[in-house]
Amino acid sequence: MDSTLALQLLIQGILLGGLYGLIALGLSLIFGVMGVINFAHGQMMVIGMYISYWIFALLGVEPYLSLVIVSAAIFVLGYVIQSSVVNRILDYPEAMQVLPLVAIGIILENTALLLWGPDHRSPHTAFSLDTIWLGEAMIDVSRLIAFSMAIIITFAIFIFLRKSNMGKCIRAAADNRMAATLVGINVSRINNFSFGLGAATTGAAGALLLPLMPLSPNLGHDFTLTAFIVVILGGMGNLVGALVGGLILGVAESMSTLFLPSTLKQVVSFGILIVIMLFRPQGLLGGKK
Amino acid sequence: MMGEQDLVKKEIDRRTFLKVTGAVGLGLTATSFGVPTLLKAEPKTIKIGSVQPATGPLAVIGQGQRRGNQLAVDYINAKGGIKSMGGAKLELLLGDSETKATVGRSEADRLIKDGASVLIGAFQSGTGMAIATLAEQRQIPFVMDVAALDVITQKGYKYSFRVFPTVTTFGKTACKYIEQMLKEKKVTPKRAVVTNTGDPFGKGQGGNFIKWFKKSGIPVEIVEHITYPLGIHDLSSEVAKIKAAKPDLLFPVCRPGDSIILTRQLLKQRVPLMGIISPGSPGWYEPKVIKDLGKLVYYIMDNVPWVNTASPVYQEANALFNKKYGGYLDTNSGFAYTGILVIADALERAGSGDSDKLLAAIRATDLKAQPMVGDAIRFAENGDNINAATAMVQVLPDPDPLKRVKVVLPKSFAQTDYVFPAPQIWDRG
Repeated sequence: MDSTLALQLLIQGILLGGLYGLIALGLSLIFGVMGVINFAHGQMMVIGMYISYWIFALLGVEPYLSLVIVSAAIFVLGYVIQSSVVNRILDYPEAMQVLPLVAIGIILENTALLLWGPDHRSPHTAFSLDTIWLGEAMIDVSRLIAFSMAIIITFAIFIFLRKSNMGKCIRAAADNRMAATLVGINVSRINNFSFGLGAATTGAAGALLLPLMPLSPNLGHDFTLTAFIVVILGGMGNLVGALVGGLILGVAESMSTLFLPSTLKQVVSFGILIVIMLFRPQGLLGGKK
Repeated sequence: MMGEQDLVKKEIDRRTFLKVTGAVGLGLTATSFGVPTLLKAEPKTIKIGSVQPATGPLAVIGQGQRRGNQLAVDYINAKGGIKSMGGAKLELLLGDSETKATVGRSEADRLIKDGASVLIGAFQSGTGMAIATLAEQRQIPFVMDVAALDVITQKGYKYSFRVFPTVTTFGKTACKYIEQMLKEKKVTPKRAVVTNTGDPFGKGQGGNFIKWFKKSGIPVEIVEHITYPLGIHDLSSEVAKIKAAKPDLLFPVCRPGDSIILTRQLLKQRVPLMGIISPGSPGWYEPKVIKDLGKLVYYIMDNVPWVNTASPVYQEANALFNKKYGGYLDTNSGFAYTGILVIADALERAGSGDSDKLLAAIRATDLKAQPMVGDAIRFAENGDNINAATAMVQVLPDPDPLKRVKVVLPKSFAQTDYVFPAPQIWDRG
């Protein structure tokens, strides 16, 4: 029986880890391009979840389909935040960059509280209760879909950054802002677009999470923190690192319940963080040049 | 190859790391600061400071608590205020503990500075404990509408009172009801699992229940005790652990949110159970939970202090609540309402908002006209309500979602008979 339990925990850890990766992807992208940590990241995801929720509640459109609309909406939100706030603070010291973004997070969270109240909302979407059985082990269908979408989105963004013109501009701006400006790239527009793109991925993660957990305005803070751990683990600004970091964190948290009380889950995640920082401060996949 | 994936070409050394993590620390601290509300002073009214978890993981309950408090204040004012004080009106000052004990204490302090002559709150036992020490220092009476940990009233405080039952009462009565059900239905479950949240109430309620359960001699072995953090987003690994323990009965101590995840995971992982019986916790009787879980929540039982549907005070209050906010008075909003009734009753007898007179009046409380299951509210020497009681409620199929929670035990208050053993979750359609 114990091996079944271990297998079950492993499956759940991997599936959850993929989603952690997708949430962290946007944070990593934004840090990679602008060097700014988006403290409103989790809260933006929650806004995405609410948009997805309302589309489902009012129009009956499944979160997996409304994902595109949600991403677009959060893209616009990110674009506006970058062009109105973040572009002005890019050259400030880190400590000063934090506060405006934390403020945006607080504003988003309390806007959600004001508009939609504190209730936990957990709509019954298609597949939200479906399962596939592999012998004794259960695979949660909504988690499997979320996991697969997370992988697809991560690689789509990866290819976009490598192959497309826009992607090349983003990488150029990330590499050297001055040089990018000199060769004629409109860096502030690229920044707006990158923040929007990072935000859109977290919006997509929100839509994928909706069938998995009850939605409430205060959800965001925890996910900002999770995303941050994942990004450090994988390497700041490294996209594949975000996915790998997410998987490691998901599996570690899930498997730790075999030996430790659930209340110590965070000890596991922060423990991993400390070990990584001590021995590989650039993160698992972070390059050192 | 690794390097090519990097968007950042600069190396991350310890210095950068320190800057970044320093910034993160600052950011996380900043998010936990509250934003104070401005309140203007007004004479000729009696101010009641209400501290509830209006934001944070328990916001749903906290806002229900506020509504219960506010509804009772409005009700008393509409009836002409405190008559012995020339119709003085009550005013509710709102404090938000953000679901944190330390914030709750500073909020209570702020409300006292704003002129509150009595405090009410705090839903969370930890916050209740923090405010009780403050009330003692400032010599301001503090009426706990909801807070269950025994220890709060065992420190010899003179200014704190509790309308709600204690964890000990919960534990003892839960075991009494469970024993009665096993006997009446002639079933013999063998194994049980207890789960609870990791906050002071969750741990107290779960741990205490186990203590009384073992003392009661019910021949069921508790094979696993799982504690998880308050506000958790995923319970899949915990439920896998529950399943591996092969229990016949599950005794969960939840909050809205984790109750929904727990039930859905029990279904997904196909955990066979004779019944889900909460030793006493929120998460099973709130209208939103019942709506979202649909048929999955049927037959779940909860040992909670519940409204007395036969009481005229309840009928009047519930009608007002439903009209103003929708839904119904439950354990928590019901006690929030009752707490204000206790204060208003004491003010009426004291004829003054003066702290000493009010304290003496609260001490002498004998309030029969109240909306909950249980006899007249009277306070023991330590401030506990000696007549606080719990009922076993069960969520049963009813076309009207607002009528699905029914009192099933004790028989004297029962609205209907209980269903036990319950059909499996996946057999409920």
